[in-house]
Amino acid sequence: MQERTLDFIEPETSVKVLKVTGQKSSRKRILDMGLTPGTKVEVIRRAPLGDPVKFKLKGYNLSLRKKEAETVLVEIIE
Amino acid sequence: MTEKITVALAGNPNVGKTSIFNAITGSKQHVGNWPGVTVERKMGKRKHKDVEMQVVDLPGTYSLTAYSLDEIIARDFIIEEKPDIVVQVIDATNLERNLYLTTQLMELGTRLIIALNMTDLALAKGDSIDVQKMQEFLEVPVISTIGSRGGGIEELLDSVTKEIHRTRTSENIFVYGVEIEKSAEELENVLAEDPYFSHYPSRWFSMKLLEGDENIIKKAEESENYPQIRKILQRTDADSFEAKIADQRYKTIQTMLRQVCNINTDRLSGSDMVDRVVTNKYLGIPIFLSLMWAAFEITFTFATPFMNIIDIFFGWLAETAAGVITVSWLASLVGDGMIAGVGSVLIFLPNILLLFFMISLMEDSGYMSRAAFIMDKVMSKIGLHGKSFIPLIMGFGCNVPAIMATRTIEDSRDRLITILITPFMSCGARLPVYVLLAGAFFGRDAGIVIFGLYALGIFVALISAKLMRSTIVKGEDTPFIMELPSYKIPTLKGSILHMWERGKIYLKKAGGIILIGVVGVWILASIPAPGSGGTFASEEIYGTTDSMIGFIGQIIEPLVAPLGFDWKIAVALLFGVVAKEIVVGSMGVLYGVGDNEDSLSEILAAGAMTPLAGLGLMVFTLLYVPCFACIGVIKRETGSWKWTAFQLFYGTGLAWIFAFVLYQVGSRMGLFA
Amino acid sequence: MEQHYGKTEITFAALAGLLYTISGIYHIAEGIGIDIGIYEGMARSLFISGDILGGFCLVVTGAVFLYGFKEMMQGINAGVSFLYVGILMSLVFMMIYLLIMGGNLLDSFIVPEDYEGWSIMETFRPGIYLGILSIAGLLYWRDRFSLHEVLALREGA
Ligand SMILES: Nc1nc2c(ncn2[C@@H]2O[C@H](COP(=O)(O)OP(=O)(O)OP(=O)(O)O)[C@@H](O)[C@H]2O)c(=O)[nH]1
Ligand SMILES: [Mg+2]
Repeated sequence: MQERTLDFIEPETSVKVLKVTGQKSSRKRILDMGLTPGTKVEVIRRAPLGDPVKFKLKGYNLSLRKKEAETVLVEIIE
Repeated sequence: MTEKITVALAGNPNVGKTSIFNAITGSKQHVGNWPGVTVERKMGKRKHKDVEMQVVDLPGTYSLTAYSLDEIIARDFIIEEKPDIVVQVIDATNLERNLYLTTQLMELGTRLIIALNMTDLALAKGDSIDVQKMQEFLEVPVISTIGSRGGGIEELLDSVTKEIHRTRTSENIFVYGVEIEKSAEELENVLAEDPYFSHYPSRWFSMKLLEGDENIIKKAEESENYPQIRKILQRTDADSFEAKIADQRYKTIQTMLRQVCNINTDRLSGSDMVDRVVTNKYLGIPIFLSLMWAAFEITFTFATPFMNIIDIFFGWLAETAAGVITVSWLASLVGDGMIAGVGSVLIFLPNILLLFFMISLMEDSGYMSRAAFIMDKVMSKIGLHGKSFIPLIMGFGCNVPAIMATRTIEDSRDRLITILITPFMSCGARLPVYVLLAGAFFGRDAGIVIFGLYALGIFVALISAKLMRSTIVKGEDTPFIMELPSYKIPTLKGSILHMWERGKIYLKKAGGIILIGVVGVWILASIPAPGSGGTFASEEIYGTTDSMIGFIGQIIEPLVAPLGFDWKIAVALLFGVVAKEIVVGSMGVLYGVGDNEDSLSEILAAGAMTPLAGLGLMVFTLLYVPCFACIGVIKRETGSWKWTAFQLFYGTGLAWIFAFVLYQVGSRMGLFA
Repeated sequence: MEQHYGKTEITFAALAGLLYTISGIYHIAEGIGIDIGIYEGMARSLFISGDILGGFCLVVTGAVFLYGFKEMMQGINAGVSFLYVGILMSLVFMMIYLLIMGGNLLDSFIVPEDYEGWSIMETFRPGIYLGILSIAGLLYWRDRFSLHEVLALREGA
């Protein structure tokens, strides 16, 4: 399994979160929103201008900018 | 005997807290389908079975670690003011993330009741939730509700009255693994020794310390025992603890959810389908623009017949008044002052109502968050956030709530800039000025002119943001983490209610401050100027340069003469600072609509002003000092007179420059002469 | 994988897409002042007015349908979303045109002097008659739209 950051994942792919890195405050917020290790995240699509990106996790929709997605390490699941 | 208790409504954003609050207390607080509608705490009262409840509606928050001002308000209320009971409102279609806050509230040791809201949506989606089992697991009462229709409210209140007398047994249901528990215990021991911490449950406080909650650490620093605490914390691996704690909380929730509910995940939901279209790469922005145009078109076109009705009514009223009142000065006060002034403003009530109806459709459907999502990239180019886009759109209605809405923006500098540029969004109060002048001078092209003014406002706002970002309010990009709620069909009742609430404000304004303003203008227009020797309210001096207002107007006229404005407009603009509708109201008084057959726009079109000056006046009104209410809210939200003054001078300066260039260049080139 | 749409959906999307796009372009052309009619007075007989922004909205609606057509032809199940949203959008615009029409009618009773020689048909627009197609679609697929409180668009069988 290959480790990647969430911003590199193509839309319509499902991934599993491995780790959240990045700055303290944004990291905690991302964890609070449910991107904890092991969580399944679906990359839905990018906004018309390429950024931010819409994700689906734990049954709700979340949007993150690529810059924040960059701090989330994930692996692709089939 | 009656008991008095405080009940706080807490929960994640957009789960229906305010809907439930309204259902309990009968109030009409603002509800909308996007996260961050409520940004301050609202109080209400309700008596149920001899228990007098002080109900508090709080802003939404995802966890007890707060990031933005609205979240801080919610957190502080729960932690510091310790309400007797916290009702956590939970979105039944989104249990997992909602219960995350529950775990924290339980740890805090609050007396908790869960209102399982939006059960209608969960049912429609095909989920099934075993409320009884959930209650057993959590050991707190769980009540099913449908906030928007008031379902389950009585049961909820029953449960509140029962809960205050129940002796509680359970605590600390979350165990975080050996390593964390060990550190937690050490911390708890230290905390127990210091009375300074007795205000907070020690278990909760130590978990927060281990999570690295900055606010809690700051609190701990004030204690004498801080060195000891720091020693324990230094031994731990804060980063991994933080993730582990969050992880453990979610794991506990998942374990429970597996047993209490069955969630239907296989169907593509309606929201997903709509999003697939409206956030489509190629179609997203065109769809946004076409919806904006549609809202604009309705606001202006559909209003016409209703405006005509009001116009006819005031015409009749003026005539009747003139017939009945025989004292000449009184007739002038009522006719030229009150009726002409207030009438010129009230005629725009249909526009205002439609405008707010459109905004409420946008808020209630859930499209608001999508607009923020689509426009985030544009906003990031000017150093702001998609979240700043929501206050800007709200600003088209009224700048005051829009500036309040900036409280959801986490970064204080982002928030400051958003507050400073929001007044450039053309609010409903400026609309009368446009409709009047564009209608008078540009006839068929009025729509395009007005559209252009809105566009100019947006343009100035964006450029100003960029400018401030790169000069006086420097700062880095802040994280953009935003929930996209699922779409809901706006109810006609909800939208009409919202429209009516705003309409009432407009009517009150017309009957209050605007009436006072126009009567003030009339009085000044009737008092003879010093040394002119005329008599009070005589026709010779009324509204001329021999009146007091002419005297004042001529003093300030040189300031605006380079913009092509005469003294009457100077005075109207001066009074318009109070509320921008007064610009139109005072023009009504000064151009003598009262005893005239023609309407104000006909008088203007007949040559009282050139179209070029009219255009300049619209631009000036768009950009210069916002109204008193807005100045007040800028001061309150920025907490600084300096920034408030900055906004006023910056805006007025820009207004002057734009109108100056327009007039000077335009008149040289012979445009709209 | 099971397919969630059939020939009816594809045909509807193609038809509505073309009609909306063409009439939208026609509106814009009239607005700029280019006559693209095939015969004398074609614009009049189709109730097309010179309205650039209104035309733009029709083109966007058409594009939504056509995009759905494209995705459905590619076999993408979720492509049917565009059909449903297209129907909803066209109904929104139909409603707006109807309201404008109603507003004008009302106004003609209030200030009859401004409306001499005016007929209600002057405000009749393609957005209205094309919307009838969408109403038909809405009724045909009515079990897939549940517009009660929650928008539960369902994928077809
Ligand atoms: N279908 C349904 N909709 C609901 C229910 N309760 C609330 N809503 C809708 O959910 C949306 C959010 O409601 P609010 O009451 O504004 O939510 P809030 O929790 O106060 O939101 P914030 O103030 O932003 O934190 C609105 O569109 C409501 O009409 C419910 O039980 N069922
Ligand atoms: Mg609220």
